Amino acid sequence: MAGDDVLSDGSEGGRPDEPRERFEDVDWDAIDADGRRLTNTGLAAVAAGIGYALALAYDLAVAGGDPTLDAAVDVPWRSAPATVVWDATAVDWLFAATLLAGGFALVPLARNRRLRGYYWRRFRRHTPAVIGLWYLLAIFLLGTVGTLFIDQPSLNLAATYQPPIFASVDASIPAECVGPVVDGRCHGTWKYPLGTTGEGKGLLALAIFGMRVSMQVGLIATSLSIAIATLVGTTAAYAGGWVDEALMRYVDVQQTFPTFFLFLFLAYLYGGSLFVLVVIFGVTGWGGIARIVRSEALQRREELYVEAARASGASGLSIVRRHVVPNVSNSIVTAATLNIPFLVLSEAALSFIGLGDVTLPSWGQTIAAGRGDLATAWWISTVPGLFLFATILAFNFLGDALRDALDPRQEV
Amino acid sequence: MGLKRYTARRIAWAGVVAGVILTITFVLLDLAPDAQLAQVQFQAAASGGSAEAAAEAYARRRGLEGPLWERYLDYLGNLATGDWGWSDTRSQPVSEAILTALPYSLMYTVPAVVASTVLGVAIGLYSAFNQYTKTDYAATFVAFFGISVPNFWFGIVLLLVFAVHLGWVPVLFDAELARTRPFSLANARQLVLPVFVLGTSAIAGTMRYTRAEALEYVRATFVKTARAKGVSERRILTRHVLRPTLVPLSTILVGDLLGVVLSASYLVEVVFGIPGLGRLSLEAIRRQDTALVLGTTLVPVFVAVIGNLLQDLAYAVLDPRIDYGDR
Repeated sequence: MAGDDVLSDGSEGGRPDEPRERFEDVDWDAIDADGRRLTNTGLAAVAAGIGYALALAYDLAVAGGDPTLDAAVDVPWRSAPATVVWDATAVDWLFAATLLAGGFALVPLARNRRLRGYYWRRFRRHTPAVIGLWYLLAIFLLGTVGTLFIDQPSLNLAATYQPPIFASVDASIPAECVGPVVDGRCHGTWKYPLGTTGEGKGLLALAIFGMRVSMQVGLIATSLSIAIATLVGTTAAYAGGWVDEALMRYVDVQQTFPTFFLFLFLAYLYGGSLFVLVVIFGVTGWGGIARIVRSEALQRREELYVEAARASGASGLSIVRRHVVPNVSNSIVTAATLNIPFLVLSEAALSFIGLGDVTLPSWGQTIAAGRGDLATAWWISTVPGLFLFATILAFNFLGDALRDALDPRQEV
Repeated sequence: MGLKRYTARRIAWAGVVAGVILTITFVLLDLAPDAQLAQVQFQAAASGGSAEAAAEAYARRRGLEGPLWERYLDYLGNLATGDWGWSDTRSQPVSEAILTALPYSLMYTVPAVVASTVLGVAIGLYSAFNQYTKTDYAATFVAFFGISVPNFWFGIVLLLVFAVHLGWVPVLFDAELARTRPFSLANARQLVLPVFVLGTSAIAGTMRYTRAEALEYVRATFVKTARAKGVSERRILTRHVLRPTLVPLSTILVGDLLGVVLSASYLVEVVFGIPGLGRLSLEAIRRQDTALVLGTTLVPVFVAVIGNLLQDLAYAVLDPRIDYGDR
């Protein structure tokens, strides 16, 4: 992601038939035309933005309180067509926006084959990170697409405390054993591969819905943080003087407040619905990233290509947008990846102590629900915890490998 | 700028940070919907009274009347003089409730911090001297495990294995025992798991930082010179590598360790049923005792402010390369 050099941009994008007077001459017409011409990616981004706005307007104005999407879909493993009823919440809308923004941010990298290959070769050296990446992709797809095709687990008194498949438990513990009973022990069935809770909810389904909650919290809040941190960090670095001082002093204060207790205090005061949690995490957790962006941007603004851009008359805003931000994006991506596991863990911890969204099947909440049954039904607390642990571990491996691949300067 | 002026400036800045944080919490408290007020109004309306009159009486009782700035000054003054409010659910002053809970928290955080620091530095140094060996990889894995494992879940799993199935340690924490005989073997037995869980999350950072810092010195020319002169490996380790490593480490330890320990201990107490600060805070949250929630949140905040101050001062005193000019 090296900086675009405006001078070479001009000579490449300019018309070759018109001879240049001198080397230093900049063909401003060509640059202007280059800047205004809408690329295919730009066109796709605008189309996606318009589509998003229309859908949002439809949900707000037309659908109102009714479900946003209500359609019958043929699913091969069911006799009757499954009806997809999906009332998109505010969090869902934010999630869609996050995914769109993330997707378009990746386009420049996806197009550049050489760069993509280079990063992939460096990333591939870390085997745990590659495994982690596949695991996270699976979790992400199950949580976003998979949840559309399965029903949210509900209270089922006929199927309480079923053990996981290949495990067995004394037959007196479940109210009724769904699987086979051999020698007075209730065995697990494929109907509930990971067992059920004391309310008869299948743990596999709970875990899959938990994936969606964790992914939403981690990705939305982190992208909010990235947006704020990039804005604050580059402004501080580029403006300097008292603006820099004021912004960074504020970050100092925010960083001093222990993050977990800030989350705890805010969730207590303003309620812990998923939307509120995401906003709290996103709006208060950007201090560390902003510091990294600022220190990186301070170095970038001394580079020759920035000086060249300034000398050719580029405005401060366009220098920041076209030269500084792309060149600090490596550090942003690394810091953001390491921010996600912290947020996933914080959400789980808050729902574990009962401050999260009680209507959503979050992993932390399921772990808490199983605490009272440790002696009789060990699987309720352990299974969702394994998913949580694996997700956090995978993000940490990923972040570490990304730092190595994208950001060789930041050795820790 | 001399050390004295630097110190004075840092202390003043810590005061400003504390003031700003207190102001922010005041504003947050003021803006938040008051669950108790809603309850009072609902009760009044349900029994045929006037909801407005009930709200006024409630405000008078809680000292919520008067202009905003007056309440703000009261709030600051009360906090500064140690009057942290009255806990309705416990019928005792907030400061007293916190002081009763504090020893239980210290009982397992102090051993966990000491153990994880000593072990973390030792393992980190060993990793640096034996980089890219199997032991180094194992240590790196332990560090990743410590950072990633959700400590509340880890505590539950350990309880399941060692208390429920093996019966080596008690399932329930005996607060009476901890209070009357804190240094007995029985108390140590019930504190082993909390210390271990807290230690695993705290050791990871220490280990990684020590390794990274020590690696800078392992290949330094002064170490090569020492080795060429025939200095023993042991002396190189303790005199030439450990000493410069400890300087940045001492500062990282205060700031980073505090954050980890403060938040981890909260959940550890909930899992193991230790009646310390975390449990106190959680009870307060569950019963909507806002004065106690504020008190138990401000304790870690003040600890963090003072920790950051000590960190900066330690850095300036220990490392002669630090320039006082900046900040």
